[in-house]
Amino acid sequence: MYTTEFDYHRAGSVQEALALLAANPDAKLLAGGHSLIPAMKLRLASPPALIDVSKVAGLRGIRLEGVEVVIGAMTTHRDVEFSDVLRAACPLLSQVAPLIGDPMVRNRGTVGGALAHADPAADYPASMLALGASMTIASTSGERTVPADEFFTGMFETAVAPGELLTEIRVPAATLGEGQAYEKFAHPASRYAIAGVAAVVRTQGGSVSSARVAMTGAGYHAMRLTKVEEALVGQTPTPEVVEAAVRGAVSPDELLGDHFASAEYRAHLVEVQARKAILRALGSAG
Amino acid sequence: MTAVLRGPDLDRGRVAHSRPSLLLAGDEVVFAGQPVAVVVATSEAAASDGAALLDVEYEALDSVDSLEGAETDEVMVWPHGTPTAASSQAGLHGAETSSSDSGSASNVDERRVFERGDVEGALSGAHVVIDRTYRNARVHQAYLEPHAVVAVPGVRPGEVTVHTSTQGQYVVRAEVAGALGLRERDVKVVPMTVGGGFGAKYGILDALVAATALHVRAPVRMVLSRTEDMLTTTPTPETSIRVRLGVDAEGRVSALDVRAVIDNGVFRFGHAGIVATVIGGMYRCEHVRIETVEVLTNRAPVGAYRAPGVPQALFALESSVDEAARALGLDPLEFRLLNAVDGGDLTGTGRPWPDIGLRACLERVREHPLWRSRGSVPFEGVGLAVGGWPGGFSPAGAVCRVDSDGTVRLHVGSVDISGVHSSMVLIVAETLGVRPEDVEIVQGTTDSGPYAPASGGSQVTISLGGAVLDASRQVREQLRDLAAAHFEAHRDDVELEEGRARVRGVPAREVTFGQLAQLGERLPGGPGPVVAEGRASLKGGAPGFTAQLVRVRVDPDTGVVTPLEAVAVQDVGFAINPLLVEGQMHGGTAQGLSFGLYEGLRYEGGSVTTANFLEYVFPRALDLPTLEAVMVERPSEHGPFGARIVGEPPITAGAAAIANAIRDAAGVRVTALPVTSEMVWTLMRQEA
Repeated sequence: MYTTEFDYHRAGSVQEALALLAANPDAKLLAGGHSLIPAMKLRLASPPALIDVSKVAGLRGIRLEGVEVVIGAMTTHRDVEFSDVLRAACPLLSQVAPLIGDPMVRNRGTVGGALAHADPAADYPASMLALGASMTIASTSGERTVPADEFFTGMFETAVAPGELLTEIRVPAATLGEGQAYEKFAHPASRYAIAGVAAVVRTQGGSVSSARVAMTGAGYHAMRLTKVEEALVGQTPTPEVVEAAVRGAVSPDELLGDHFASAEYRAHLVEVQARKAILRALGSAG
Repeated sequence: MTAVLRGPDLDRGRVAHSRPSLLLAGDEVVFAGQPVAVVVATSEAAASDGAALLDVEYEALDSVDSLEGAETDEVMVWPHGTPTAASSQAGLHGAETSSSDSGSASNVDERRVFERGDVEGALSGAHVVIDRTYRNARVHQAYLEPHAVVAVPGVRPGEVTVHTSTQGQYVVRAEVAGALGLRERDVKVVPMTVGGGFGAKYGILDALVAATALHVRAPVRMVLSRTEDMLTTTPTPETSIRVRLGVDAEGRVSALDVRAVIDNGVFRFGHAGIVATVIGGMYRCEHVRIETVEVLTNRAPVGAYRAPGVPQALFALESSVDEAARALGLDPLEFRLLNAVDGGDLTGTGRPWPDIGLRACLERVREHPLWRSRGSVPFEGVGLAVGGWPGGFSPAGAVCRVDSDGTVRLHVGSVDISGVHSSMVLIVAETLGVRPEDVEIVQGTTDSGPYAPASGGSQVTISLGGAVLDASRQVREQLRDLAAAHFEAHRDDVELEEGRARVRGVPAREVTFGQLAQLGERLPGGPGPVVAEGRASLKGGAPGFTAQLVRVRVDPDTGVVTPLEAVAVQDVGFAINPLLVEGQMHGGTAQGLSFGLYEGLRYEGGSVTTANFLEYVFPRALDLPTLEAVMVERPSEHGPFGARIVGEPPITAGAAAIANAIRDAAGVRVTALPVTSEMVWTLMRQEA
C-alpha cells in the first residue's frame, strides 16, 4: 500500500513548525506517525504535505517543575514507560504507557501525537482527564493552556485549532494520600481500549477527599465519570461503597457499539474497569 | 500507468464458475471484493494512484446477504442458473439452457440426504434427546503472506510462466489453462515458497495475472494488500447446523438427525460429503439421517480451510454429545468411549472406516493428569472433544539419483508448505543409509517435477512417501549391484551404511556412494548412472483422529474466556519426522482453539467489516495456552511406515472443546462461534 505523493518538511524548532504550518495550511503534523502513516497508506488521509515535528528541539523529555511534571509533546511512549520521574510523581502514566501498542509503536509513538490525534480508543486521554493535566498549545500569536477537561471535544477532535501545535503536557505531581490506577479492557485484535478507566483518588482521615475517574474507548471520546466521582467523595471507601459508586457509571446511550461489544456491554465493562481501577488506586495510595 | 483493463478486455468466452476461474467482472458484480478492473503500472505507487482515479458506478441490485435469506429463493444469486465448469456463456445470459449447461435457478445449490435406519422412530423412543442449532461465522485462513503472483509471457504467443505462492502447482496449471483457454503445455507454473496456505493457496489470482500479462505482453506482478486479500479470497463457510441426538437409558447413541445449512458464497463448493462423513461417523449409531443444504449467497466464494467444514460440524456434534452425557449424568469421556467408532464401523455416508485410532486417543486422554485431576476451582473448567479427518491420498511419482560426490538428490513435484519435504529426506536417508544432510531435495516446476498431488488434504507424506520409498529402494539396489561388481562379491553380501558400501565380514574395504555413482556414470557397458523413478498409488486412506482437552477460566465479571492449558492426543500412525508432526499438532490445535474463541469475519449486508488485522481477531503467541501434543502411534495399513495423515485432524476438535470447557466452568452453553466475551457474559446474566 502506498500513500499519495506529498511534500515533506522537517521542523527544527517550534517557531519553524508554526511557520511551516502557516505556509502549508492543509499540511498534517507528523510525530511518531503510527496513526497517520497507516491512514495515508490506506488513503484514508491524503495530505499534500507533512511537517515532521518529531525532531523539534526541546519537545522531548520529562522533567519535574515544582509541583508539576512537564512532558514534552514529542516524548515517546517508551520514554514515559521507563521514566523514573513519572514512576515517582505520576505512576498512572507509568502504568498506561506499556499497554499501548507494541514495543515498536512505543519506540516511535509520542504522547503529544496520541493526544492530538484523539483516537476515541487511545489510552492516554482517560489518564490526562483523571490526572487533571493541562495542555500547552503554541501558535504564532503565543501560547495558551487548555485543561484536559476542555481538550477532548469529539471523535478525533481536540481543542488544538488549525495552525496550532501542542507542545507540552503538564501533570500535577501525586500528593500524599493519593493513589492512581488504570484498568484496560482491550479489543482482542487491535488491543485498543474497549473500556479503559483511569482513577486518581485521594483519601484523608479514612474517607475520600477527592476523586477523578475517567474512561476511554467505550464512547466517542474520553470523558470524566462525574457521577462516580461524586458518589465517592466524602465516603469511607469500602468495596461496597465503590461497587455502588460505579453502578450506572455511564449510560449505553452515550457509548459506541459494534459486533464485538455492544453499547450495553461496554457500559458494563466501564463499571467493571472503574471498580477495579478505583480499588487499586485506593490500595496504592501513599 | 501502463494499462487499465476491464472485464471485456480479458474476456476469453469462458464462464467463471469458481474463484480461481474468475477474471474481471463484466456488467454485474456478484460479491463485494470481486475484482472489477486491473491497473498496470511500472511501480506499485503509480498503480495505487491509478486505481484511486478509477470511478466505478454501481447500481445496487437485490442481493442475498445471509444463509437464511438464501433458502427462501426470494432473490436469486444466479437467476439464469448456477455456473458450473460446463456452463456456456449463452446459458448464463438467459438463453435457452439445457440441464447440462447449468444447475436449476435456485440458491439451494445442492441438497443431499444420507440416511440409514428409522431416525424419527428412534428419536421418539430415546431416553434423552438433545436438540440444538449451532452457528459459526466465516473464518479466514489468515496466512501471514497474502496472495502473490508474477506472470511472465512466453516467447511464443499464448505461452505464460506463472511464479506463484501455491499449495498445488498442477492444480494452478489446470485452472489457468482452463480459464484462459490455453493448452496445459503452454502454462508453466513455478511454485514459490509458501508463507502460509491452510487450503487457500490453490490459484485464486493466477488466471487473472496470467491473462493480464498476456494482454500487456510484459511480466506482471500482483501482491494483494491484507484488506484486498481478506475481501477477495475464500474463507471457510458460515454454517447453521441443527443436531438432534438421541441416547438410550444405557447411554448408547440411538439416533442422530442432522440438518446442516452451508453458505458457500457465490460459487458452488461441495462440503456435503465430508461434513456428513465426519458428523455421522464419530459414534456408532443405527439410525442416522444427515441432510446437507449447500446454499449460494452474494458473498465471496468459500474455499478449503484445513479440514473444510469439519470444525463447524464437530462443534455442533461434540457440544451436543457433551450435553447428552450431562443429561444422563455420565462421565463425558466414558460416554464417548462407550459409543466411539472403530475400524469397520460406518461413517456418516454409510461406508466402513478403515483401521482408526479414535478409541486409542480417548483411552490416552483418560490417563492424562489434566483429565484425572480436573478440579472444582470456581469459574475454571475442562472441556473434552474428539475430532478426525479421513484425509486424501493420490498417486505420485518421485525421482532419486546419486551424484558423483555422493550427494543424493530427490526430485519431487510437490510443494513444501509445512516442512513436509523433510519427511521425504528422512525416508531417503533411512532407506539408503545416508545422513539426512547428504540428501538434497529438488522441487520441480510443472515442466520438470514428477507428478505429485497438491499439498492439501493432509496427504503429501502418505501419498508421496510411497513414491520416494520406491525410488530410493531402487537406488539402493542399483548401488548394491555396482558395489557387488566393484568388490566382485555377491550382491546379498553388500551392506550399505553411512554413505558407503562394504562386503559383510570385510570391514576394511569400502567404497563411497559417490565412487559408485562415478562407476555407473563412466563404465562403458555398465548399468548406467544411479537414478530411479519411483511411484506409488495407495489403495486406501489413513484417517487421523484426535481427542483434545482444554482448561479455561471464565471471568465472571466480563465473560472473558482465557484458555489455560490444552492437550491434543492424536493418532499419527507412525511419526516419520516427530518434530514436524508435533509442530502440525501444535499449529492445528491452536487454530482449532482460535476457531472457537477468536476468529470470525463480520459482515454488514454483503460486505466484510473486519478485513484487516486490527479488527479480525486471532491469537497472538501470548494468548495461547500451553499446548501439549501427545502422539499415539497405531500404524495405518496403507501409509508408508504406517504413517497416517497429520495436518488436518488437530484443528477439528478445538472449537467444541472450548465450548465444553466454558460449559464446565461457567454453566452456560454457547451455540455460536466465535465465542465472544459479551456472548458468555450475556448467557451468564440470563442464567443468574
